[in-house]
Formats: sequence, C-alpha cells, structure tokens
Amino acid sequence: MLTKFKTWLKTITFYEILVGMAATMKHLLRYKPITLQYPHEKRTLPDSYRGMLALLRYDDGTEKCVGCDLCEAACPSRVIRVVSSEVPGEPTKRFAKEYYMDMTRCLFCGMCVDACPVDALGMTREYEWAVYDKRHLHLNKQQLLAIGDRSYPVREKRLEFQHPNVAFFNVAFKNLPQKGS
Amino acid sequence: MAELALRMAFSLAQIAVVMGVIMLTVMILTLAERKVLGWMQDRMGPMEVGPYGLLQPIADGLKLFFKEDIVPAGANKFLFSLAPILALVPALIGFAVVPFGPDSTIELFGIKFKPFIISDINIGILYVLAFTSIGAYGIILGGWASNSKYSLLGGLRSAAQIISYELNVGLAIVGVLLLAGSLSLVTITQAQAGWFWNWYIFAPPFPQIFAFVVYVISAVAETNRVPFDLPEAESELVAGFFTEYSGMRFAFFFIAEYGNMILVSCIAAALFLGGWNAPYPGTALARLGFAQFAWAENVVWFAAKVYFFLFLFFWLRATLPRLRYDQLMRFGWKVMLPIALGNILVTAIAAYLFPGGR
Repeated sequence: MLTKFKTWLKTITFYEILVGMAATMKHLLRYKPITLQYPHEKRTLPDSYRGMLALLRYDDGTEKCVGCDLCEAACPSRVIRVVSSEVPGEPTKRFAKEYYMDMTRCLFCGMCVDACPVDALGMTREYEWAVYDKRHLHLNKQQLLAIGDRSYPVREKRLEFQHPNVAFFNVAFKNLPQKGS
Repeated sequence: MAELALRMAFSLAQIAVVMGVIMLTVMILTLAERKVLGWMQDRMGPMEVGPYGLLQPIADGLKLFFKEDIVPAGANKFLFSLAPILALVPALIGFAVVPFGPDSTIELFGIKFKPFIISDINIGILYVLAFTSIGAYGIILGGWASNSKYSLLGGLRSAAQIISYELNVGLAIVGVLLLAGSLSLVTITQAQAGWFWNWYIFAPPFPQIFAFVVYVISAVAETNRVPFDLPEAESELVAGFFTEYSGMRFAFFFIAEYGNMILVSCIAAALFLGGWNAPYPGTALARLGFAQFAWAENVVWFAAKVYFFLFLFFWLRATLPRLRYDQLMRFGWKVMLPIALGNILVTAIAAYLFPGGR
C-alpha cells in the first residue's frame, strides 16, 4: 500500500524526469567536453601504432628490399605485388624491380613487416591518407620509398661484413644493430 | 488622415522591430540549442564558424538560402509551395498581441502610442490559439503534398497530435481566464502586478500550478519538440513532414518551429508568470529614481521569463527519449485532459466563492 502510494506520488510529481533533468543539468554546470577538435588537435598515438606502410633504405641510399616475395606471401589481403629480378651482372643478388601496394585493401596487420627478412618494410605513424581518387592509393615502389624517406630519417647502416652480392638475413643474428628509432 | 498615416507608420515600425527581434531570437536559438545540447552531453557543439562557433547561424542561413529548391516528382506543386508559408505566417502573426513590455503610452506628434504592444485586442489569447491551429494546416498539407510516405505519416501524426494537445492548451488557459476575467493578454498581465505570489501560477484563491504544468507539457507537444517529436521522428520517419523540403522552404518550416517555441513561451510567461511584471511590486529602477527607464526592467523580466522557457525546451530535449505514439495519445486524452478539466472546475468554484481573488 505504502509502496503503491510512493509510486503514485513519484508519478504525479514527475520524480524520474526531474532526476534525469538534474543529471543533464549537472553535466551542463560541470562542463568537461571529451571532444578532440580533430584537425586542430590530434591524438597522441600509441608507441606500437601501425600506420601507413613504407619501404626503407640503407644509410648509403640503396634499397633494402631484396625482392624475396615473402611479404607478398604473408599478406592476408593480397595488398602487395612484387616483381623480383636479378641485379644486372650479379646473378646472386636480386632486387624488387617493381613493388606495388594496393592500400585500399590493406588492413594494417603488420604481417609483411614481420615477414621481411631484411627489415625493408616499416610501418609509419601516418594515418591521414584520405584521397579523392581511389587509384591514388595504389602505390608503386617510388612512392613507398618516399614515404619511408620522410618517416624514417635515421637509416640503418649497411653492414660492413655483408657482401654486396649476398642477401643478408637478420633472423639468425639477434645482436645486430636495430632500426633507428 | 495624417493621424492615420502616423499610426500606420508607427505600427509598421513596431512590427518591423518585433519581427527583427523574433528572427534574431530564432538565430540565437538555433545556435543555443546545439550548444546547450552539446554541453549537456559532454560535447562542444559547433566550434568551427567564427570564434567559438558563434557565427554558425549565419553560415546555416546562407547555406539554406543558396541551396537548390527541389520539388519532388508527383508533388502537388501549389500546396507544396503553400505549406511552408502556411506554417510560418501563423507562427509569426501571433506576436501581434503579445505584450513585450508595460502598458505605458508615449506621445509622438500629439498622438498616443503604446510602444511595447503592437495591438491590444480584447480577445488576444483566443486570436493566438486560432492562429496556432492554422499552423497545423501547413504541416499536414506539407506532408500530404510531398508525395512521400514518410512525409504523409509525419503529417498525419502531427495532425492528431496538434489537435489533441491544442485542446489541453485551451483548457489549461481557461483557469487563468476565469481568474482574470479577460481574454486580453495585457489585462491578464496587469492583473498579476505586485509580488510574485500574484502571478497566476501561485495566485490565490486557487493556484494555477496544475494548469501551468498541463500548459507547458501541451506546449512542448504542440511545437513538436522532444519528447513529443513524433511528427519528425528522425529514427522512424527520416524527418517527418518536411522530408522532401530543401533550401528556403525547409528554412521556413524551421523558423516556424522556433517561432512557435518563442510564441508559446511568451504566452506562458504572460499568462502564468506575470509577463513583464517583476517578482516585486513596481520596478527597482523606478524606486531608484529612474522612472523613465522602468520599461527596460520590465522588458528584461519578460525576456528572462521567455528565455527560461526556451531553455526548458532544450533541457527537456537533452534529457528525455521520445514517447511511443499510443503513449502520447493516452497521456494527452486520459491524463492531461482530466487534469485540465478538473482545474477548470475547482478554479470556477474558487473564483465564485472568493470573487475578486485576493
């Protein structure tokens, strides 16, 4: 009986509505917006952020990529296409004659970066890649190298004991100098 | 002849000023609504146009002005063009009888004018009710003439809703009319002079608090605002009756909605909260010896009351979800209507037993 009376009293005095309005008023008075004014202020990216992919170079300006196709094999969405070929006159050394990435399909999983035996691929912290034409996201080797140049200004040294004709794999040697941060 | 010309010129000047103020208020409201809603929901609201987003209404107005005016295929062109005008004109024409300030007269070229009241007709409140009802035609015709199912459904809902709640508005007002003994908004406001307990919301012999609650709820429903925004429920009906409208015609409906909000707020302030009267007798400026500027204080009090109601509209919108359609109808007919009728009965008995009120 009493609870029924209480419910009735709450109904006729709009108690629940008043509680709700007090809640909204509290937010108005203690105004703390969670909005980030995006183009003017940007989020701090986490350290492990996986952004735009890039091809890297050694400090002498030569490409790291040896055209082994492992990134193409690792890619789950077939973003990468590598056309490998021999370096002219050096039959033991290969390089990527053409290297394409269709970034419309890329899901930024980073598996190609893990798969690369010479650390020729890197993930940058770029994410503002909206374009007017979808075809502009189909990147060739020059574009990918340019992204790498602007995102990785500190380049890795080409090792002295590495023969220029031999592809050098980093998997077995844990004590080698790492990529510059 | 000269007197007539002078009177007409003065009236036209008054109308121009009132229209300017209303349009300015609509502009402020469009920004204020987005800002207040944003602040209540931990957002910022518009921030890009001008400092702190203050020029957003101008940007919106320019955008709407230059947009393509589309008439959908199969639409009834005449009614499609007529509907926005039918919605806008009644919303603006009601302000003719609203007393914005004290009933004082000024003398210009030997003729007496009332500067704050465009026209003090003796059936003022009836005139407002009649014209706001015509506004429903604009919505229904706009919904029907668009040749779109969403528009039609929105228009139908709106018709039923406005008719249901118009009744409650009318009945809620009757209590005040019984106590004031007049239909003129000026006379009603004058009867509430003095301390704030003379306002009809608190007034003896019978406070009109129930009528006030019924009026406010019904006014929200009549202006199609949240939580009674079923005619333009965007999650169900795209945009309701103005789905097919674009450009300036859409802007007309938009201005009409905000104009109606201001109008019902003005009526609520004049009928229940004492209109231009301050909560204390007279005005503070007159006490301090600035009797010639007392009107400013009265106008500020009126504006403050109106803006309180307008803020209430935003506040409700930020808080409440939309009602279901059957809930809306049941609430209107089974709850609001009996309360309004009971209020009339009790007020009539009280007014009979204590003639002259206080």
